Amino acid sequence: MARANFKALVLLLATQLLPGATPKATPKPAPKSAPKPIIPATPSFRRDVMPVFFRAGCNQGTCHGSARGKDGFMLSLFGYDPKGDYYRITQEYVGRRVNLAAPEDSLLLLKAQGKVPHTGGRLFTKDSTYYQILLRWIEAGAPDDAGAVPVPVEITLSPDHMVFKSLAVKVKPTQQMKVTARYSDGTTRDVTDLALFSVNTPSTATINKTGLLTAGTKGDGFVFARFSRFTIGSEIIVLPPNDATYRWTNPPANNEFDRIVYDRLQKLRLLPSQLCDDETFLRRATLDLTGTLPSVAEYRNFMADTAPDKRARLVDRLIASDGFTDLWTDLWSEMLRVKGGGYGPTGTDVKAAESYHEWIRGQIARNRPLNEFVADQINGTGSNLTDGPANLYTMLVHNTKFTPKAFASDFSQVFLGLRIQCAECHNHPFDRWTQDDYYGWVSFFNGLKRKQGAEPREFYIYNDPAAEPAKHLVDNRPMPATVLGGEAPVPKGTDPRQALSDWLTSPKNDLFTHNLANRIWAQYMGSGLVEPVDDMRISNPPANKALLDALAAHLASSGFDLRALVREICTSRVYQLSAKPNATNTGDTRQSSRAQLRRLRADVLLDAIVKATDGDRTFNMFPKGVKAIQHYPRTTGDTTGNTFTDNFFQTFGRSDRSTVSASDTRLEPTLSQTLHFIAGDTLQDQITKGKVIPNLLTAKKSPDEIVEELYIRALSRKPDPEERKAMLAIAQQDPANRKTYEDIFWSLIDSTEFLFNH
Amino acid sequence: MRKLNLVLILAAFPATGAVITYDDQIKPIFREHCMKCHGEDEPKAGINLGSYDTAVKGGSAGAVLVAGRASASILFNAITDENEDKRMPLRNAPLSQAKIELIRDWIQTGLRETEKSASLAANRDIGFHPVVVAKTDGPPPMPENFPVLPAATQKHPFPVVAMAASPTAPLLAVGAYQRVQFLDIHTRTVLGEIPFPEGQPNVIRFSTDGRTLMVAGGKPVQSGSAVLYDVHTGKRLAKIGDELDAVLAADISPDQQMVALGGSGKSVKVYNTADGKLRYKLARHTDWITALAFSPDGKTLASADRAGAIHLWDANAGSILLTLAEHKASVRALVWRIDGKMLASGGEDGVLIWWDASDGWPAVIKNNAHPPKRPEGVFGVLPNGVLSAAFGPNGDLLTAGRDRQLRLWNPTGSQIRAIPQESSLPIQVAVSQDGKTLVAGDSAGQVHFLDEKGKPVAAAR
Repeated sequence: MARANFKALVLLLATQLLPGATPKATPKPAPKSAPKPIIPATPSFRRDVMPVFFRAGCNQGTCHGSARGKDGFMLSLFGYDPKGDYYRITQEYVGRRVNLAAPEDSLLLLKAQGKVPHTGGRLFTKDSTYYQILLRWIEAGAPDDAGAVPVPVEITLSPDHMVFKSLAVKVKPTQQMKVTARYSDGTTRDVTDLALFSVNTPSTATINKTGLLTAGTKGDGFVFARFSRFTIGSEIIVLPPNDATYRWTNPPANNEFDRIVYDRLQKLRLLPSQLCDDETFLRRATLDLTGTLPSVAEYRNFMADTAPDKRARLVDRLIASDGFTDLWTDLWSEMLRVKGGGYGPTGTDVKAAESYHEWIRGQIARNRPLNEFVADQINGTGSNLTDGPANLYTMLVHNTKFTPKAFASDFSQVFLGLRIQCAECHNHPFDRWTQDDYYGWVSFFNGLKRKQGAEPREFYIYNDPAAEPAKHLVDNRPMPATVLGGEAPVPKGTDPRQALSDWLTSPKNDLFTHNLANRIWAQYMGSGLVEPVDDMRISNPPANKALLDALAAHLASSGFDLRALVREICTSRVYQLSAKPNATNTGDTRQSSRAQLRRLRADVLLDAIVKATDGDRTFNMFPKGVKAIQHYPRTTGDTTGNTFTDNFFQTFGRSDRSTVSASDTRLEPTLSQTLHFIAGDTLQDQITKGKVIPNLLTAKKSPDEIVEELYIRALSRKPDPEERKAMLAIAQQDPANRKTYEDIFWSLIDSTEFLFNH
Repeated sequence: MRKLNLVLILAAFPATGAVITYDDQIKPIFREHCMKCHGEDEPKAGINLGSYDTAVKGGSAGAVLVAGRASASILFNAITDENEDKRMPLRNAPLSQAKIELIRDWIQTGLRETEKSASLAANRDIGFHPVVVAKTDGPPPMPENFPVLPAATQKHPFPVVAMAASPTAPLLAVGAYQRVQFLDIHTRTVLGEIPFPEGQPNVIRFSTDGRTLMVAGGKPVQSGSAVLYDVHTGKRLAKIGDELDAVLAADISPDQQMVALGGSGKSVKVYNTADGKLRYKLARHTDWITALAFSPDGKTLASADRAGAIHLWDANAGSILLTLAEHKASVRALVWRIDGKMLASGGEDGVLIWWDASDGWPAVIKNNAHPPKRPEGVFGVLPNGVLSAAFGPNGDLLTAGRDRQLRLWNPTGSQIRAIPQESSLPIQVAVSQDGKTLVAGDSAGQVHFLDEKGKPVAAAR
C-alpha cells in the first residue's frame, strides 16, 4: 500500500495537486441515488432536520447540547437522543418553538436567522439549504418519523489523500473536500453541506466551513470530516520548497520497519540522520532496554569489540537480562496502578500489591505472550492476596467500591488505548464509539464483586452471573455485554469475561495489537506513532500508519512475543540514528528521521545516578538493594489518592499512579528539579558516600585515568580532547584531593547530557 | 342538584388502610437501620430515633418529621436521596421499597405513636360548598354582530394553546393564530371572531361577570401583551403590557382592575387596567412564569414557574403570603376552585395537587395523575405531565395530560372517570358554565365537546 502510494506520487509530481491518487484494488459500487444535495419535499426529522442542528452547531456542548440546555431550550449533545429532541422542539411547549399555522414565524427559524435575540447569533440565512430544510419540515406539519429511518452506516471523505507542492506564488493551492454518507438502506448521499470539517495541523492546511481546503507550508497533517456519529480523515502532504533539489540517499535498511520509515521520509522529502556512534548506541540501548547505564566494564568490552554484529549481540544480551524484566514490570505496574496501602476496604493492601507485582514480573521474566498475560488478568478471580492477576479489579480503580463504569473506562484506556468514557453521556464526537457501545462494554464488568475474605486485608474477586447489565442513559434500556463495535451481545449465563478476553486479546483485534505496538514503539523511540499513547481515535491518526500496522502485525504473528518485537525495533537502523539533525529533518519529531532527545524517567534517572556512583539508595517500606524500577508505591494509608512515597519521584515526575493516564508520567523540567540537583540530598549523598573516587585514588590511578572513568560512568563516553584538557587542569592542581574529583563527577551528572537519553 | 357532602375528609389517607404506628412498625425499622448513629447512645446531629418523643422532636437543626407530609420531612428525603453519598443509612444499601413506603405512610397518616394515638396531621375539610354567583343585570353576554374577519391563511390549524369557557354564558373562546374564535357551547357554531394581531394567544380568560375577555400572548422572543375585549361587541378595550417575549401566563382580577402577566422574564408584572400602568412586580421566581391565577374573591394571586415553585401573593399589596413547594418540574396548570378554598396545580412531574388555600397545605397529592401506558420495548421515563386543569361549577376538576387522557376528579381528589383523547395531545380543557359540557382543545387545533359522562358530543371547527 505504502509503496503504491509512493509510485502514484512520483507519477503525478508534474501536476500541482494530486488528489486521491491511491489506486484501489476494487472500485467502489456506484451510488444508488444522485449525490446532489436535494431538499426533500417532506424532510425527515432524523435524516434531514437533525443534521442541520449538528452542522449549525445548535446541539454542541457550549450551546443547546449542554446537559442543562441553553436559555431554556435543550437538545441532546450532537443529537444522541432524536426522540427527546423531537419532543422538546414540538411537544414541550406546543406552539412556541414551531408554529404550524405560520411556519416562517416559528421561533426555531427566527432564532437561527438571528432575527430575534439569540445567544448563538445568526446561524444561517433564509436562502440557505438549512433554512429550507427546516421550513419545509415545519410546513409539512413538523412530523415525527414514522417507523425506522435509514441511518448512516459509513461516511467517506474524498479525496482520501492529497499531496500539494509548495509553490513560489501567492495563490495557495486549494481542494474542495466531499463527504458522502452511506445509509442502512444502501443509498448514498452527498452530505458535504451537513458535515463539520477540521484539520489537525493548521500550518499544513486550513479548511473553511464549506469544506474548501487551502494548503499551507510544508508538512503533513489530516483533514477530518464529522457527520452523524462518524469521523473520517484524509491525509494531506505539503511538499517543502526544496522539492526540486531533494535526492534520496539510499541509506541501507536493516528490516521492514526501516523500509516503511524510508518510504514515509521520501514522501515528506526528509533524509534520515547518520548512524549514531557506538558510545551513544551503548548508552541508549542500555537505558532503553534495562533502565540503567552500562558499567565501565561493559563500556570497555563493547568498544573493544570489532565484530560487525556487535550491536545486535548487545541488544540480545540486554533483552535477556533481569533489567529488561524489571523495566517492563515497572512500566506495566505503572499502567495498571499497582500500589499497596495499609487501609483495608480498598482491597489494595501491600500484600495484594506485592502479589500482583510479583505475578507481573514472573510473566515478563518468562516472556509470557502478551495476549495471555492480559487474558489472565481479565479473567482474574480469587483472593487479592494470593491470586495476583485478580488484582486488576482492585488496582485499576482504587476505591472502596468496585465501580463498573470507572473500571470499564480505565480498562479500555490501558488495554486498547481508547478513551471511551466520552460515550457515557453522548456518542463519542471524534471517534466511532456510541452510547450503545459504551453501556454494552460496561456490562462486562457489572457482575464483578469483591467479597470480604477471612481477614480484613483479603477480598475475593468473582463474577456474579445474576448481575443486571448496565442501563442505557437515554432510555434505561438494559444493554447486555457486547464487545466494542460488536453487533450481538455475548451469550448470557456465563462469565462474560471469557468472551471479552477471547475478543480483546485476539491477534485479529487491531485495537489491541495497535495499542501494544504503539506503546512498545514509544518506549524505544521516545514517542508513540500515536500520541498520547492512550488516546487512540480516528481523529488522532498515527504519524505513520503503515509502520504501526507493521509493528502490530509483527507482534501478532510472533505470538505476542514482547522480546521479539523489541529486538526487531532495536536492531532497526532508524533506532540507531543519531540525534543530530541534517538540513532536511531539523523540524521532524514524529517520523523517526533522527533520534529524539528524551529526559530519563524519574525511576530510571535515580537508578542511573546510583549505578554511576556505585551508590546506595533505599526506599521506605522496601528492603535494601531494591532498584527504583523495582519499586512501586507502598503506603501505610489508603491508595486512592496520589502516592509518590519518595520525594525524588515526585520532583522528577514519576507517575503518582492516581490515574491510568500515560500523561501522569511527566518529563518536563521544573525549577525544583534544578534545585534538587544543586542542593538536594540525592546527588550529593550518592557521590560522597559512594566508593568510586576513593577506590580510584586507592588504586593509585592517574588524574587522567580517573577523569576518563568518571566520564564513562556518567556519560558512557570518553572525554573529548578539549574536555580532557580542561578537567585535567582542575584535577592536577591537587591530584590527590577527593573533593576535586567529586566536583567533576557532580558536574558531569548534573549535565543535560546525563539527564537525557540521546 | 348535587347533594351537599359535609363529611370531614382526612387529608391524604393512605390506600393501605391499616394503622401504622411508631411502636408497631416504625421503631423496628429505625432500630435495624438508623439507631446505631441516631439512637440514645450517640444521637448524631442530635437526632434520636430511639423514642417516639425524641423522634418527633427532631435534631439540633429542627424537626425531621412533618406530620402528613413525607415530601417535606427531612428524614424521608434522607432515606430516598438519589445521591448515594448523602442517602441514609450512609454507606449502606438503601432501605427496601416496602420499608420506605411504610415510613412514608406513617408520616402521611400523622405520625401515630400507638394504635390508640390520634393522628398529628390536621383534619381538614376540603369538601366543596356551592357558591352563589351574584346575579348580574341583563341577559348573559353573548357575541353579536361581530365584524367578519378575512378567512385565516394558515398552513395548518394552530394548536389550541389557549381556551376558556364563559362563567356566565354557554360561550367558549378558543385561540387561533392571530385571532380568537367564539363558539356557542350548545350549538358548537362559530358566533364570531376577534383579531389578535399581537401574535399567538397563549392565555384566554373571561372576567368573572363574563363580559370581558382577556387574551394574552404575543410573538415569541419579540413582543408580548394582554388585550381586553368586550365580549358582547368584540371591541378592543385596552392593551396591557409591552413585554420582550410572548406572555405565557396571565389573569384578570375579578373586579377587572388588574391584569397579571408573566413569561420568560421570570418576574410577574401586575398592571392597572384603568391606566395600563405597572402596579407592582413580583421578583421571587427563578424560572419562566408558567401560570397565574387570581382567587375568586380577588384577594390572592397565585403564580407558578417552570422550576415547580408556586407562590401566593396579597393581590393588592403584592406581598408574599405563602410558598407552595411540592412540584419537581414545570407547573403547567394552576386554577382556583370557585369557592376559593382550594387551588389545584398540575405539572410536568405528573403531579396533581389540591392545595388548601388558607394555609398552603397540599391536601391531596396525586403522584402520576396521568400515567401513560408503556409501549412494548420502550424503557425509561415517559412524559406524564399534567398540562391543563379546569374546575367546574360543582367543584369537580377536569385535567388533561401527556397520557392523552382527560380525567375528571371529584372535590376530594378521587377520579370520577378517564376519557381517552387518542387522536392528538389534549393541551387545554374547559368546563361550561352549567357544568354539563366538558371541552378539550388539542395540539392539532381541534376542539372536542363531551357531555358530563365524557361521551363525545361532536367536534367543532
